[in-house]
Amino acid sequence: MSNRRHLSVLASAVAGALALVACSDQTNVTTVPKRPSFWGGVTECVTGKWTGGGRMDPPNPDVPDGATGTSTMQGKVTFGFNVFLGTDPVSGQCIVTKGEIQVNHHPSHTSWHVSIHNGVDDFNETVFAEIISPDASGRGVCLVVGETPITARVDGQKGTDQVQMELCDNDPDAPQNSRTDAMRWITAGHGDTDLTYLTGGNIVDHGA
Amino acid sequence: MNDMRIHGTHHLAALGVVVALTAGLAVAGTAQTVSGQAFSTYVNTSVASSIQSPLVVLPAVSGTDGAEADAEGAGVTVANTLSSDFLNSITSGELDTSAAGAQSTASAADINVLNGLITADEVIANATSSRTGSGAVSNADGSTFQNLVVAGVALTTGDGPVAPNTTIALSGVGYVVLNEQTLSGDGVTTSGITVNMIHVYLQSALGGPTGEIIVGSATTSVGS
Repeated sequence: MSNRRHLSVLASAVAGALALVACSDQTNVTTVPKRPSFWGGVTECVTGKWTGGGRMDPPNPDVPDGATGTSTMQGKVTFGFNVFLGTDPVSGQCIVTKGEIQVNHHPSHTSWHVSIHNGVDDFNETVFAEIISPDASGRGVCLVVGETPITARVDGQKGTDQVQMELCDNDPDAPQNSRTDAMRWITAGHGDTDLTYLTGGNIVDHGA
Repeated sequence: MNDMRIHGTHHLAALGVVVALTAGLAVAGTAQTVSGQAFSTYVNTSVASSIQSPLVVLPAVSGTDGAEADAEGAGVTVANTLSSDFLNSITSGELDTSAAGAQSTASAADINVLNGLITADEVIANATSSRTGSGAVSNADGSTFQNLVVAGVALTTGDGPVAPNTTIALSGVGYVVLNEQTLSGDGVTTSGITVNMIHVYLQSALGGPTGEIIVGSATTSVGS
């Protein structure tokens, strides 16, 4: 499927660089992120749990759009998620073993939902994940869900879309700061938010 | 209401049961609770009613864990009282060995309250509570109104905030509180917030309460 290939290429090409930018201090975001020599996503993981939710308003209102610079999905986005990480017994790669993801794009009145149980989504797809830690600043951790794009239900049962999600917890064990954590939502059918700092809410990597 | 869907990592959430998430938290040395809920609309008047909808409640989880619940509704219509569409509610929460937190979001679009007395293209209520070794905090960052008009007066152009607990009298009806925020907790080990974006208090001619209408409600709390 052409959309899937496109997203796969997009994710692999930009996810690392975007995560690097998001996990840096937002006041130091650059418009042309450079990947440091030590960077490398972790495609193997034993366990892990990530939870969060809130709102973002791509393009990023607080700093220059430091990721790709192109938000093809703009305006209010609200979301919530809870994912558990584990190891795929077949490939040994990091996967989401169970979880729920809900994302709403308000200007277009579009909602996406992904449910994951026993290591696969509702369409029997393995949901590969990637952890990026440490980041360039050494204070943040990022997670890519759907390293290979996964299928989300759109507006309930009205359709499907290929999606990827990137999450960055930039304030681990520190007082909650809504505008520090970041998220990106990529869809084949409705565009890409680009990596965007939250307007409200929180993203938490809460460990094994 | 029609076409409402509810998801969650725990099915109990879909039934609106149990709120608390409890586990040991190293920074406190005592059991912690995290709670959250959200709904888009609620009507309770002498002539019409509509339950909190779509209501989501943070499921109960034990240990260092997390949970999420969400629901969506195509729309709600209560004759002469409230109409709205694109209703969405989400709540999530988590505990680990050094921190705890909860996040809730509720939204509604194309809002018409009391036959045009209050209108808005959209409201989003966003509540966040968290606790670390540094203390416990809550806020309503990200809560806004889009093109809000109350009694013919435009209060926001485009998407923007209104000062917390802004109260406006509604002649012959009662009053409305916009961005109604209720805080709780001591800020050290406990903290919570409820934000209701539009809360209409209906009153009789003598000033007695006769009902209420809420659009966009999000609640979170952390505590021991």
